Amino acid sequence: MPIDFKPTDYAVPAFVLLVLIEMIWARRRAPDAYEPRDTLVSLAFGLGSTVAGLLTGGLVLALALWLYENRLFEIGWAWWAWGLCFVLDDFAYYWAHRTGHRVRWFWASHVNHHSSQHYNLSTALRQSWTGFIALSFIFRIPLALIGFHPAMIAIVGGFNLIYQFWIHTEAIRRLPRWFEAVMNTPSHHRVHHATNPVYLDRNYAGTFIIWDKLFGTYQRELDGERIRYGIVKQLGTFNLLWSVFHEWIGIARDVWRAPWRHKLSYLWRPPGWSHDGGRDTSDAIRERWRQRAEAQPVSEA
Amino acid sequence: MTGLALQFGGSLAAVLALAWLAAKLGLGGDPRLRDPDEARRLADEAVCGFDADEVALDRAGIGALLRDREGRVMLIRRHGVRWVARLLDSHAGVRLDRSFLEIATGERGFGTITLDLGEQAQVWAGSLRRIK
Repeated sequence: MPIDFKPTDYAVPAFVLLVLIEMIWARRRAPDAYEPRDTLVSLAFGLGSTVAGLLTGGLVLALALWLYENRLFEIGWAWWAWGLCFVLDDFAYYWAHRTGHRVRWFWASHVNHHSSQHYNLSTALRQSWTGFIALSFIFRIPLALIGFHPAMIAIVGGFNLIYQFWIHTEAIRRLPRWFEAVMNTPSHHRVHHATNPVYLDRNYAGTFIIWDKLFGTYQRELDGERIRYGIVKQLGTFNLLWSVFHEWIGIARDVWRAPWRHKLSYLWRPPGWSHDGGRDTSDAIRERWRQRAEAQPVSEA
Repeated sequence: MTGLALQFGGSLAAVLALAWLAAKLGLGGDPRLRDPDEARRLADEAVCGFDADEVALDRAGIGALLRDREGRVMLIRRHGVRWVARLLDSHAGVRLDRSFLEIATGERGFGTITLDLGEQAQVWAGSLRRIK
């Protein structure tokens, strides 16, 4: 098995073609589903993330190979190992993703993917440049210590990423019930990208939505709730570099200004946390929304 | 190395081509605020619980200023075909020029917006000076 085989490299032409098809759909059905400057930023994110991956991928691979040399089990390349590796990698992805939303250090990298106010296939390519700095790989790399070959982990991770591409669309409403019950779908993932309080920090799944159902973070898409995409404090700019680094700069500013005993909290507490309570976390927003909804009950469609 | 450079060049060309095509297909749009209720809805969506008492719409509908009962002032402006909002915490970036109110939030990336508020501009300029 070639260690440098990357499924995503082979998928890129299909990505381009599908974005093109969705644009044609948008022209007829929803012209505001795309905004040319937003699309350019999203695609530039994607291109930049591949460069960042080239620069840092070798280090992650070296670490994975070292862990593999000290593996706990001899799993090898059996057919069932591929399936098991995919499921375990998706499980690890769930926790990486959940942490990416709940710990500001990890959010500083992952926020890149959420910074568009649009939800289309180009948004799927809005990938982080700073995942290595955030140490995002620490969640999935233990699979090598268990005994899965790093090449196998990289390949199933690539297929996981490819799966997640097509769910970034408003063109598909809902899929058959059995599929929606098990798999991550456009409907489930629209919820994840929403800033509506009822949807905040929900549906972290990569491929299988079952993790959210198991760990209490699942929220179905509500028919009466118009989705707003992006982040709680929308960026308001199409500047690529600011879009990439804004949260890291925000962390640096907060740590610099905070009293000593609060400095580290700006790294590990949830996004929106502040030592003086002057900002809102997603939990605070959801609670405020919940209290208001209870005072003025709105029927759920 | 040559292969990587070619791959990068091809990807860059595809990126630029798709963005160009998005513009060529006429995607996007020209959203305008139609009435104060729409501005109120956007304000509540931006800051959950922001219940605007006073609203001043730009005459072309490209933005709005809103104030709630707690005295908080929110600026809403277009961002592409979507809307973005900020609570104003300083009057430092506010300039009045007849019916035009120029507002800078202090965030360089967010930029400066000039709202045509007509006769309301002077009233709002005066009240914004009370923001510390």
